[in-house]
Amino acid sequence: MRCLYCDKVINKLSFKSLLIKEDLLCVECRMKLPLKRRTIKVKEMEVETFYDYDGMFKSLLLQYKECLDEALKSVFLYEITDYINLRYFNYKICYIPSSTKKLEYRGFEHLKLMFEEVKLKPLEGLRMKEELCQEGMDLKNRMKMMSNFVYDGKQENKVLLVDDVLTSGSTLLGAYRSLYSNCKRIKVLSVAYKNNLI
Amino acid sequence: MECLRCGNRDPRYFYKGHKGYYCRKCIRYSRVLLEEEPETFSYEVSDEAGEYRFDYPLTPVQLEASNKCLKDLQKNDILLHAVCGAGKTEISIASISDYLSRGLKVAYAIPRKEVVIELEKRFRKIFHKADVISVYGGHHERLSGDLIICTTHQLYRYYHSFDLLVLDEVDAFPLKGDQTLMNICLNSCKGRILFSTATIDEWLLMVLKKRQYQKVEVYTRPSGNPLSIPEILFVNQYLGFIGLYMIMKRMANQCLIFVPSKKLCHIMYRIFSRLFSCTYVYADLEERNRNILLFRNGERKFCFTTTVLERGITIKGISVIIYDYGNIFDQSNLIQMLGRVNRGIGDNEGKTFLFTDRYSRKLSQTMKYLKEANSYL
Repeated sequence: MRCLYCDKVINKLSFKSLLIKEDLLCVECRMKLPLKRRTIKVKEMEVETFYDYDGMFKSLLLQYKECLDEALKSVFLYEITDYINLRYFNYKICYIPSSTKKLEYRGFEHLKLMFEEVKLKPLEGLRMKEELCQEGMDLKNRMKMMSNFVYDGKQENKVLLVDDVLTSGSTLLGAYRSLYSNCKRIKVLSVAYKNNLI
Repeated sequence: MECLRCGNRDPRYFYKGHKGYYCRKCIRYSRVLLEEEPETFSYEVSDEAGEYRFDYPLTPVQLEASNKCLKDLQKNDILLHAVCGAGKTEISIASISDYLSRGLKVAYAIPRKEVVIELEKRFRKIFHKADVISVYGGHHERLSGDLIICTTHQLYRYYHSFDLLVLDEVDAFPLKGDQTLMNICLNSCKGRILFSTATIDEWLLMVLKKRQYQKVEVYTRPSGNPLSIPEILFVNQYLGFIGLYMIMKRMANQCLIFVPSKKLCHIMYRIFSRLFSCTYVYADLEERNRNILLFRNGERKFCFTTTVLERGITIKGISVIIYDYGNIFDQSNLIQMLGRVNRGIGDNEGKTFLFTDRYSRKLSQTMKYLKEANSYL
C-alpha cells in the first residue's frame, strides 16, 4: 500500500495501524501531524481542537478541499475518531453548512465525509441566512458570519457542533448562538486551530 | 483508463468520488474527472505581437542557431543544447516571433519562479508591442495575453492550448525527474515544443524518445569566454571550513558560495558574517529578495546560497566556490553553478573553486563536459 500524501510505499506500520485500524498515511507523514489537544475559549463558547493549522495539516486540507481529493477523507480524524465516539456518546452531530456554490463545485460535503466514521446521529436544521464565502475575507467581514445562522429544527438535548478549522471563531460562535435556545447542552469541536484568534 | 492531463494509466491512482473517477497522480494541480475532457484555454493573439527588437545584435553563431530552430520547427520538435550563457533565450526569439505573427499561441515555461519574473521584464523590452504576461504561484489573476511566461507548474491551466511551447531549463528542479509534471507540460501544447537545456541526461532522453526531434547545439558564448574549469580541492569537510576561510580572505572580487543545504547555509552565514561582509539566500527565506539585491548592488562581498541561485542570475565579475559535500549536487547543478562565472563581454576574471572529499562519477562527467564544450572554441 502507498501513502495517500507522499506516495511512498508504506513499509513501517504503527502499533495502532497493525492491530486496530489501517492508517492511510505513512509513519513519516503521520509524524508531521502532531496531535495537540487543547480547549480554546471564544467569548462564551469553548472549542476543543486537535491539530495546528499549519505545515502538513494545511497542505492536506487544501488538497482535500480545494483540489477536491476525496480519498483523503478519513486521514484527518484517524487518531481521534475513537475518542469522539466515546467522549460524545449519545450526542447528535451538527455540521457547519457549506454554501450551495461550493457544494456544487465540490460535489461532496467535506465535513460529512470527514466525520463519516464518527458514529453519531446527524442533526439537521442548521442553515445559513445569506450565502457568504469566507475565502479571502478579512476579520471584520468574517464577523458577519456571527449573525448568519438560523436553526429551525426540533428541541435537542445534546449536540456536538463541528467544523474543520477554527480561525476567528465567528462561524462557530454564530452557529452556537443560533442553536443555544433549542439545545440543552452544546459542545463545540474543531479539528484544527489557526493561531490568530482575536 | 487514462488521465488525459498527466497520462497516468496505473489503476491504483484512480479513485471514485461523488462525481466519478478522477486521477490522483496529478491531484495537486486540481481534479480532472475521467469522463470529462479538461477544458482548453482559448484567447486571441493581437496582430502586431510578433514584432521584436534587440538592444544588441546576435552573434553569427546565435543567428545560425536561431535560423536553424525556425526552419526545423516546421517539421519537428527542437532540442536546443547550449552551454550556460550562450543566449538560449535570444536564440528562441525568432521562432516565437514567427508563431506570434501568424496569430498562433506561444508560451515560455521555466521551472523557477524567479527566472519567470526576470524573463517577463526582458520579454517586455524585446516584444515591445505584445502584451506579455507572467503566471506563477501566487500571481495568476490574468491568464491570457499575447505571450505567456509561466512556471512549468502553472501549465496545468492550459490543456492543449499552445501551438508553440518553449520549455526552458528542462534539467532544473522541480521539473527534472518528475514524469507527471513533464506530461502535464507536454499535454499543454498541441503543436511543437522547443526544449532548451545546458545538460542532457538519461531522463530527458527517455522523455524525448517518444517524440521526433532535431538537435541544435551551441557551444560558444557571445563573450567568447570558455567555460570556467574549477580548481578542485580534496579536503575533509571540517578542514574545508579552514580552506574556505583562506580562499575567502584572498578573494578580490564578489563571490557566490554554493552549499548543499539550507541549514549549512545558515550556519556558514552565522560564522563567516563575523569575519567578512556576507549575506545568505535560500528558497523559503523571507528576506530573500532583499539579500539578493544587497549582493547585486555590491554591498555584500560574499553570498552563501543553495541551488536556488544556480540559474537565471547574471552578475558581472563574480567568482564561484562550490562546497560539495554529501553528494547532493549532480552534474547539471555543477554545470549551472560554474556557468555563473565570466558571462558578460570583457568579464573574464572570475575564478571557480570546488571543495569535495571524493572524486565522484558526477564530478568526472562534469569535467568531461566542460573540457568537451571548451574544445569547440
